[in-house]
Amino acid sequence: MKIYINGQVFELSHLAAPINITSALKATLPDSQQQQSFALALNGDFIGREDYCTTFIQSNDSIDVLFPIVGG
Amino acid sequence: MSLNIYGQQLDSRLLIGSALYPSPEVMKQAIIASGSQVVTLSLKRQNPLAQSGEKIWRYIQDTVQQSQGFLLPNTAGCKNAKEAVTLAKMSRELFETDWIKLEVIGDDYNLQPDPIELLIATEQLLADGFKVLPYCTDDLVICQRLYELGCEVIMPWASPIGTGKGLMNPYNLASIRQRLPNATLILDAGIGKPSDACIAMEMGFDGVLLNSAIALADNPVMMAKAFATAISAGESAYIAGTMPERQTAHPSTPTLDSPFWHNPEHKS
Repeated sequence: MKIYINGQVFELSHLAAPINITSALKATLPDSQQQQSFALALNGDFIGREDYCTTFIQSNDSIDVLFPIVGG
Repeated sequence: MSLNIYGQQLDSRLLIGSALYPSPEVMKQAIIASGSQVVTLSLKRQNPLAQSGEKIWRYIQDTVQQSQGFLLPNTAGCKNAKEAVTLAKMSRELFETDWIKLEVIGDDYNLQPDPIELLIATEQLLADGFKVLPYCTDDLVICQRLYELGCEVIMPWASPIGTGKGLMNPYNLASIRQRLPNATLILDAGIGKPSDACIAMEMGFDGVLLNSAIALADNPVMMAKAFATAISAGESAYIAGTMPERQTAHPSTPTLDSPFWHNPEHKS
């Protein structure tokens, strides 16, 4: 299965289906980012933290993981 | 007098951005020097070269804590209502606030807000419990529509973001103030000098939101203090009531019993 995280493609064939968001993040995000504060959208829709375990991803899904940044 | 943001009373009428400072430490000092109690920030994909991530997040949290202030996440970069609504929901979870500075950009060249997408996003977010602070142009009708939807705070621009051009259309801004007397009006974007902020406050605006004018100053900390002083002066002037402008000169020194030089026989 191929997914996109922040526009970067990842191959998740080594993970047993079904793959939830928690597993996908664990397999793709660097440790340094996993420990940070972030919020997430799946295919352009917000997914709350409490739903990561019960939200399953499909091939070609696109996940955006966003972090705090300075802003005006 | 205090600034009212959806029922939250604030002593400072200056809302300040956290971007573009020479360093996180200067950002922190400038925000504290400004006396602002509202600091804007955003969410983005992480770029190691940008001021983002956990370190800057901790810096902003620490700064806001010291100033007993509040976070105001924005939806910068969004180009339609769907993107803005999604980003607002992400911000609410991460920053634990239902305040959102709603930006939906319609034109890349001057970063002008898209009024149609802005109204769509505003309606959805208000229905979802957000306290929306919409960034819009100085168009009276758009401001009226936002107010009618339920926005208690409206933030028309002075001029395009980051230009420092000041108040492009004072007549438009004065009209918005006059026609929406009960809305909290915050002038947002395009302010370049403390005098711009002072003029807005003299017009009866409730507050000013800015970033570049402080962050890009040679001395951001000193400029932050200058803006705080200017905003306070403008507010006092508005409350005091400015004199009416007149077309002709009027002597301020009494002319009654003037001495010899007003003698008709005296020739200069």
